[in-house]
Amino acid sequence: MKFSLDIKGTIAPFTAVRKLFEHPKTICYPIEKREKVEGYRGFHTNILATCIGCANCQDICMNDAIDMIPIQDEQNPKNNSGCIPRIDYGRCCWCSLCTDVCPPNSLKLESESIWASDNSNNFLYMPKDKR
Amino acid sequence: MIKILKQHYEIEEKSRRLFKIHIKKEEFLKTLNFIGLNSNFITLSQITCTDWIEDEVFTLNYILTTEQRDKNLMIALSIPREGKESKLPTLLYLFPQAEVMERDLHEMYGIEFIGNKTLFDFALENWNTTPPLRREFDTLAYVNEQFDFRKGREDNRDVKVETKRRRAEAKKLKAKKEVKK
Amino acid sequence: MIAKDNRVIKIFHGPQHPGITGNMSVELDLVGETIQKARTHVGYLHRGFEKLIERRTIIQAFTIVCRICVPEPDPNEENFARAIEGLAGIEISHRAKYIRVMVLEMARVAAQMLWMGGQSGSVGLGTVAQWSIYDRDLILDLFEELTGGRVYHMYIYPGGVRRELPDGFLERLGKVLDHIEEKMPQYDALFFENSTFKKRAIGVGIIDKDLALKEGLVGQALRGCGIKRDVRKDNPYLVYDELDFDIPTFEGCDVYARAMVRRAEIKESVKILRQVIQKMPKEGEIMQKIPKHRKFKIPKDDILVSTESARGEFNYYMAGDGTEKIRRMQVKGPSLIHGFTLLEKLLVNEELSNVAMIMNSLGICPPEIER
Repeated sequence: MKFSLDIKGTIAPFTAVRKLFEHPKTICYPIEKREKVEGYRGFHTNILATCIGCANCQDICMNDAIDMIPIQDEQNPKNNSGCIPRIDYGRCCWCSLCTDVCPPNSLKLESESIWASDNSNNFLYMPKDKR
Repeated sequence: MIKILKQHYEIEEKSRRLFKIHIKKEEFLKTLNFIGLNSNFITLSQITCTDWIEDEVFTLNYILTTEQRDKNLMIALSIPREGKESKLPTLLYLFPQAEVMERDLHEMYGIEFIGNKTLFDFALENWNTTPPLRREFDTLAYVNEQFDFRKGREDNRDVKVETKRRRAEAKKLKAKKEVKK
Repeated sequence: MIAKDNRVIKIFHGPQHPGITGNMSVELDLVGETIQKARTHVGYLHRGFEKLIERRTIIQAFTIVCRICVPEPDPNEENFARAIEGLAGIEISHRAKYIRVMVLEMARVAAQMLWMGGQSGSVGLGTVAQWSIYDRDLILDLFEELTGGRVYHMYIYPGGVRRELPDGFLERLGKVLDHIEEKMPQYDALFFENSTFKKRAIGVGIIDKDLALKEGLVGQALRGCGIKRDVRKDNPYLVYDELDFDIPTFEGCDVYARAMVRRAEIKESVKILRQVIQKMPKEGEIMQKIPKHRKFKIPKDDILVSTESARGEFNYYMAGDGTEKIRRMQVKGPSLIHGFTLLEKLLVNEELSNVAMIMNSLGICPPEIER
């Protein structure tokens, strides 16, 4: 195919100038924030009244991100091992396999996704106790 | 073409569009020249390698595709893992794309391809230990040797041990209460 | 332009450059501004996927497979799922097949939008990238409510798909498709019919048509030469044999031909998505019953599967050994041959300013070369 100069190809790009007068497509963060979407794979939450401490989540996590640590005040009499999960957010990839295998469905993911801290030990995250 | 090949080799038909034949290492160049020049399977699409450490062989698969791109033929052969016999002639002159694939396999497994002059680093740099995709290379041991892990996760407990311990304690407490009564 | 003293200068069109499509470098020998020899270097993105898979069970491995290719992760998940289903003998439901086709075609449109931004940026026209990133963002919003993640979906599972469609999803998808069809004439006016782009792109980066099929080229490199090959028609999988679509080709073998082929493919993908919205079965389970993760064993056999991604044919070879772990999974993307054999041949006797344009037109994606 050979190149030949044509009028349409030279003048048509200038029609893009009309975009100057349109409303911008971006939002002015942090004055306006984006709406949270339900079902987004964000941070972990764990209902301590139903967690049985079975460590299925630790077994399936393939990045070894979950630790089972003993808790001080007992919330669930059926918790045979006395441990609850704590997740290392330096290793987690948010695949949500741990929520799929939880037998009493107590470990879930919420839509929250912003966490900032200047101490790196704060990224060993203890899931919130939320219904 | 499949009919002609059926007269010479034993073909396994895995599905309507995927065929496999097994050959020995000595007939390698003869077979590939015959198929590559006389049939519809004109393109080399992939060279794969699997490490069967318990049988002490590498099984290589040369995967050829037709001109219409609708059928695939896998040519499987085995070569020994260690020693002087762990080498094969190159297919660079018949299929130019084999140069890169052989370079990748040489770096990852340590197989030598005679006649290919570009067998230097592909993805790794200054790698001095065993070729990484061999089964005897243990990634967990390598990582424990070379790197340090972050502190702060020492309070991890084994759930089965904790359960047994708590059950034993609960039994002792129950036994004490019975004695007091 | 020939330099007066014919001295050879070596430069790296290197891993940090706004004109390349990923992290790789091309080592060029220049005389004046003309290239005499080119050599590709990769290795900046080697993460060792094939070794990581050896220590994980099948369900654990499915979550890291999508990270092999960054611009378009879904063909990887589809290949992995189809290979495991082929080895273990699982048959998925009709509704799950339609949902998978929908996800794959949406990912294809999003990847072509990203390509448009890259190709126009390499020629010097930065405006198109600002527009096409917004249109891609509308598709990523749809993915967010369907799968839970914007870029890495982890949705196509061996046995079906992971979640049910939300209410009203197909209507929202129809509105996004209307918006994309409305915007295409504006892209034409600014980019595809622009005289400046045509003058730079016609006659540059010409592929030899007679050797193209033998050397193993795939995707737009073949269709830009007039050769009609596509895995969805030649070796169909899922429900592509029930849908009605064409494979666009263009004569010319140069950068302009490959750009026009991609533009036509966006229209074909929109056509396929509209048919899927109409024909989607309303009943059917989305997921078959599969064993638990330490009990899911695959037999000692091997299989080869392939899928069409936005850049070409993507192949997976998988071998099992009777246990719950995969013995070998080998990945071959379309960029392995395009990035090495083809690029080193095409760049000889080209100008230095055309290197970025040629790399973008071939669609070379370094993460899949050295997984």
